[in-house]
Amino acid sequence: MPLAHGSSGPLVLQTKMHSSLSNIRLAGLAVTTGSVVRNFIADGLAAGIDRATLERTAKTIGLRERRVATPGITALDLCADATTRLLTEMGLDATSIDAVIFVTQTPDHSQPNNASLLHGRLGLSKSAPTYDLSMGCSGWVTGLQQAALLCAHGGAARVLLCAGDTLSRLTNPGDRSTDPLFGDAGSATIVEKTGRSAPLHFVLGADGSGAEAIRVKQSGARQPVGSLTEHTDAEGNRTHDANLVMKGADVFSFTLREVPGAIESVMRHAGYIPATTDALVLHQANRFILSTLAKKTGFTADQTPMSVVEHFGNQSSASIPCALIHGLADRLEAGPLKIAGCGFGVGLSWGAFAGEIGPLTVAPIQTLPR
Amino acid sequence: MNSDEKLRLLRSDVDLFAAAQPDTVLAALPDWGSLAVLLIIVHFEEKYRLTVTGAQIHGCRTVAELLALIP
Repeated sequence: MPLAHGSSGPLVLQTKMHSSLSNIRLAGLAVTTGSVVRNFIADGLAAGIDRATLERTAKTIGLRERRVATPGITALDLCADATTRLLTEMGLDATSIDAVIFVTQTPDHSQPNNASLLHGRLGLSKSAPTYDLSMGCSGWVTGLQQAALLCAHGGAARVLLCAGDTLSRLTNPGDRSTDPLFGDAGSATIVEKTGRSAPLHFVLGADGSGAEAIRVKQSGARQPVGSLTEHTDAEGNRTHDANLVMKGADVFSFTLREVPGAIESVMRHAGYIPATTDALVLHQANRFILSTLAKKTGFTADQTPMSVVEHFGNQSSASIPCALIHGLADRLEAGPLKIAGCGFGVGLSWGAFAGEIGPLTVAPIQTLPR
Repeated sequence: MNSDEKLRLLRSDVDLFAAAQPDTVLAALPDWGSLAVLLIIVHFEEKYRLTVTGAQIHGCRTVAELLALIP
């Protein structure tokens, strides 16, 4: 049924793939980022772009600094660091974890998966299953839904959800449309089974017909990395077939088309309206997209954390936990907050959630190495 | 809405087009680029409830062709 919203037209709300999971809670959050600070203006000037253009873009898109990983540091390392710090902060032993879900598209290897490597590194119980989800910017929400399912119906009492990527390694420095956007980060989220009945609501979806909009062509069995020749597009951006290539305009169109409806759908299931919802926490793609989505869904800028991208860059699946910590840590620790949110991106795919989060343990954002 | 009104709305809403004429070539606009494409997508979405793709915009040579995307 269409629902009038924001400043724009009617939306067709998504009614399938809705789930409401009770007796679970987010118990802890931590994020570790890369340690190298890259400055958007300085990098652009070095690439020969004039300062006025850079400053205009920086203001509109919200780019200032991003943090990328040093050579040798992977998403596994970043997530392992976040996990270790979080377990320490919570006073938990690693053996109390009943399952590990690792969301990443930059794993250490195609085999074994990152979740198993982390299981071995942390010395987890042999009864704890492990699996990776190959998802990007929407992946933390899907991982949260999977972790909640394991707690609600899968026999787990405590699940570790790791989500992170090192996408800065996949972009071409000569691709000014994509390279300046991405930062590297890994997150750890602890989800627990509780007696609390207030459910978390999820709405998940995908549009595989748009899968070409974000792609690394040479990266798998279909096209293994081979000889690489750089191509230059009409705007002078250079990429080769092992680079992450993003059709920004098409991703933006997809986002405007699908994300507002997913958010409004999950909020309707939760019985939330913007005026009484504490925050809208979105994948931190860039300020321009976030402010457009907030406006379309009826949220104010104050309700919508947007600062992650200007401090850390687009962190793929780690950006929502980073936004929760960076924008709301004190309030989450005191909790609960009524929060709605959505991840969206590669696939193309999306995952929206709504529910009460907090009180929970938050480990401060740190870099690796420190 | 006729094409003059569409052009007037575009000029007032997106700075990039402040002095644009129907025969202005998009690629010749001083700030033409990926950010301009995003601004056009938002303009179409907010003013006409119309979602356009990057390919549709890149397929236009002039401002008149761009405005012709609006039904």
